[in-house]
Amino acid sequence: MKPSRLPMLVTWSVILFFYVPIVILVANSFNSSRFGGSWESASLKWYIRLMNEPSIWHALTNTLIIAGVATLASMVLGTSAAFALHRFAGTRLQKVHYSVIYTPLVLPEILMGLSMLLFFVQLKVQLGLATIAIAHVTFCLSYVAMTVLARLQDFDFAIIEAAQDLGAGWWTTLWRVLIPMLAPGILAGGLLAFTLSIDDFVISFFVAGPGSTTLPIKIYSMIKYGAPPLINALSTILLVITFSCVIASQYMSNRDRRTA
Amino acid sequence: MKAETRRHASEWLVTLPSFVWLLLLFLVPTVLVFAITFKPPTPYGGIGEGWTLNTLRTLGNPNYPAIIWRTVWLSVAATAICILLATPMGYYMARVSPARRRLVLLLVILPFWTSFLVRIFAWKVLLHPEGLLKNTLVFLGLVGAETSLLYNAWSVLLVMVYTELPFAILPIYAAAEKFDFRLIEAAKDLGASSFCAFRSVFLPGIRVGLLTAFLMVFIPSLGSYVIPDIVGGPTSEMIGNKIAQRTFVDRNLPHAAGLSAFLTVAVLIPMIAITTLRGKESPRDTLREEGI
Amino acid sequence: MSEFLQFEDVSKHYGDVKAVDHVSLTVKQGEFFSLLGPSGCGKTTLLRILAGFEQPDTGRVLLGGEDVTDLPPYERKVNTIFQSYALFPHLSVWDNIAFGLKVAKRPRQEIQTEVAKMLTLIQMEDQAWKKPDQISGGQKQRVAIARALVNKPRVLLLDEPLAALDLKLRQRMLIELDLIHDEVGITFLYVTHDQGEAMSLSDRLAVMKLGRIEQLGTPEEIYEAPRTSFVAAFIGDTNFFNGTVAEPLEKHSVLEGFLSVAVDKDYSRLHIEDFPDLECYNDKQIKEGEQIFLSIRPEKLRISRERPKPAPHLNAIEGVVEDVIYLGSQTKYWVRAGDYRISVIRQHSRFLLDENPIRWREKVWISWHADDGFMLEKYSAQDENLIQLPPEEVGETSPDPNHAAPAQPVLR
Repeated sequence: MKPSRLPMLVTWSVILFFYVPIVILVANSFNSSRFGGSWESASLKWYIRLMNEPSIWHALTNTLIIAGVATLASMVLGTSAAFALHRFAGTRLQKVHYSVIYTPLVLPEILMGLSMLLFFVQLKVQLGLATIAIAHVTFCLSYVAMTVLARLQDFDFAIIEAAQDLGAGWWTTLWRVLIPMLAPGILAGGLLAFTLSIDDFVISFFVAGPGSTTLPIKIYSMIKYGAPPLINALSTILLVITFSCVIASQYMSNRDRRTA
Repeated sequence: MKAETRRHASEWLVTLPSFVWLLLLFLVPTVLVFAITFKPPTPYGGIGEGWTLNTLRTLGNPNYPAIIWRTVWLSVAATAICILLATPMGYYMARVSPARRRLVLLLVILPFWTSFLVRIFAWKVLLHPEGLLKNTLVFLGLVGAETSLLYNAWSVLLVMVYTELPFAILPIYAAAEKFDFRLIEAAKDLGASSFCAFRSVFLPGIRVGLLTAFLMVFIPSLGSYVIPDIVGGPTSEMIGNKIAQRTFVDRNLPHAAGLSAFLTVAVLIPMIAITTLRGKESPRDTLREEGI
Repeated sequence: MSEFLQFEDVSKHYGDVKAVDHVSLTVKQGEFFSLLGPSGCGKTTLLRILAGFEQPDTGRVLLGGEDVTDLPPYERKVNTIFQSYALFPHLSVWDNIAFGLKVAKRPRQEIQTEVAKMLTLIQMEDQAWKKPDQISGGQKQRVAIARALVNKPRVLLLDEPLAALDLKLRQRMLIELDLIHDEVGITFLYVTHDQGEAMSLSDRLAVMKLGRIEQLGTPEEIYEAPRTSFVAAFIGDTNFFNGTVAEPLEKHSVLEGFLSVAVDKDYSRLHIEDFPDLECYNDKQIKEGEQIFLSIRPEKLRISRERPKPAPHLNAIEGVVEDVIYLGSQTKYWVRAGDYRISVIRQHSRFLLDENPIRWREKVWISWHADDGFMLEKYSAQDENLIQLPPEEVGETSPDPNHAAPAQPVLR
């Protein structure tokens, strides 16, 4: 019996569907026409104008600061959470722990955004970079925990006993065995956290204060209030950066798998 | 007993940091949303003293049933389309050669890693009245010059499917990859047609993946806000838009809290239902894929 | 230093399960000592208590006279070979072996010479920079041994170290382990569920059951003179007969000087249905009327076509051959006698084809000397379950007929 070609057709059509808008966006960023409906001439003028927009650079700085803080903090918290979930799996505490880690992953962002806004307002906390960073740690934590947890599934805990058996105390075991062994998982989680933090709009928008505009907030206001060609250019730059990062990390993890 | 105590101590030690963090910044705020529903607003966008049922009364506003209905049908439709497309994709990805599989996986994951706003914006450009798609369709005589591709419920649905599709593909693929395809051969050997084998053996086999996909698409869809905000119009608002409006435009936080509380309950029902249905199996595998 | 390693009244329970139940045990310096038993008998728990991974509920552990019960694992001079080897996957072979020395902050020069010595011992000098996932199972095993031995532990603990290897490799590692033990002279505490490993390697072994030591002794003592029916069935192959002790057969009084001594050399008659006239050496002075199992190893039985000539203390019963399994060096017969299916092993010391060997359905006589039978307390259903438990973890049951499942008594 001939295998059906339908799954293949669907797959490649969906992939086409994924990339058509992106390709058009990139193409338009080089189009000197303001509305991209028709091709006027190739130009880099939107890129040049983008470079001369200080507010974008300011927003980018904010975004990177927040992402850096959120990544580091969520790596520490998420790793210890994953460790607890795995090592002590099955206790009542870990069941509750697991659901508070899992729920933020599926809950709509807007709920988290508003609830945190209310929390900060109620505590009379000044909204700004700090509140955004705190909010980001909260959802990044769950992603890091889940990524590390996935890696821990194949972790042989006899290795920790082996280290202790060979004379290593808790601290030495942590630094010489546990962290190096979990490094790929922790880094993968960190990369995910970093990307999510850089990209987050909804939650940031709710807990942002005056002067704490992040890049997604800036992009949003540009989309809402004009300047499409500038966003084309900015989006293209972002696409190039993320595409090369993802491809590089895929390449690296494939190489990892091959040696393993 | 000593060892027992030591074990408890170390369990708390590694659990506390994340647990306390989420308790303070996730659970407490969520409970707060429910509490603030019963607070009066202040004219300057703050939260007043005392307790009131006013917000609850305004939620009875006749506008809301229409918006809630739209939110639900858009989410259901988006979820259904995503799963309908993702299932044959999962099947295909599980069956092709490893090299091809890696390529498809990469192509699926790439958009997931790219900026959410950029992806929505790309559609805005494409569907724009002056954009390529519109011009092409007018040129082909398929739509009139006055038809708008943007700012309606259909454009919202289209972009929702576009952004949520990877969340359906990954869990379904993860389940399909573990599926033993010899079962399909066995079914055919016993006289089942290809389609019958697909329906009666493959679909039950990837049940967990389908349920996870449902959860991962349907629940975030219910809370959509940015998509209807950018590519939708006044006739395609969802609950998320109302929450944002109450927060940023009307500065009525208790009202926003009331809507959020409603949405939270609406989201928890399918979530608990699915988690129970899915039984003990954890969503970790899906995340393993997402985390690459 | 004969009492080198001591467990004193050690107990450990998990919930309601008694993993180790008031065990006292002494291991001598330099000895190769094995803990043998089915899964769940507490042997691994006992090892982990010594390693420091578990705290006993009662009792203490003494090492060289020093109480180490409350020391954490990293302060004990014992090292463990883990069943999964637990090599550090992110470190090379060299770094794995050097780990203990580095943690102990030994001078660099010393680390280098010691690690080099170990690499020579395990013959892996040329693989020093490979990662654990680039070497074979047997090599991992050797690295695990080197990584432990380099610290010069006072006791080396081995937790089912061969279970993850295939049969061929297991046999080779068995020899290597023996050689290494001879060479380093360290005390080895070896945990296994495989009686073949324990019997061939150990100086002494303890057979454990349900957290208790069932019998302790040299391999020969345990095989030849099992003290309980559990031990008889768990170690090697045996036939059990269900019976009652009857009157003592005779008492020799020997006149020795002026004293008349009742010598222990007494035999008892047994009541076993179908076989009225059996006798057995009664070393345990089991009283008349007691219910017992008579245990006889298959190789202690003789099989013949003719009735053997009567002799003192010779038991003979008649039966029919039900199965003949030719095994090359020996033949195993299953003989039906009354309600029993008796296994008999006959070694071929002569050219078999000239012998007109006994065949299927032939009527035969089985005989044995009363000294070769053992009267043991009855074998419970629980014992039966324990013996039939599948081996722990990976180790497939060996196809070696000597290690095959023990004969089950055919009870009425």
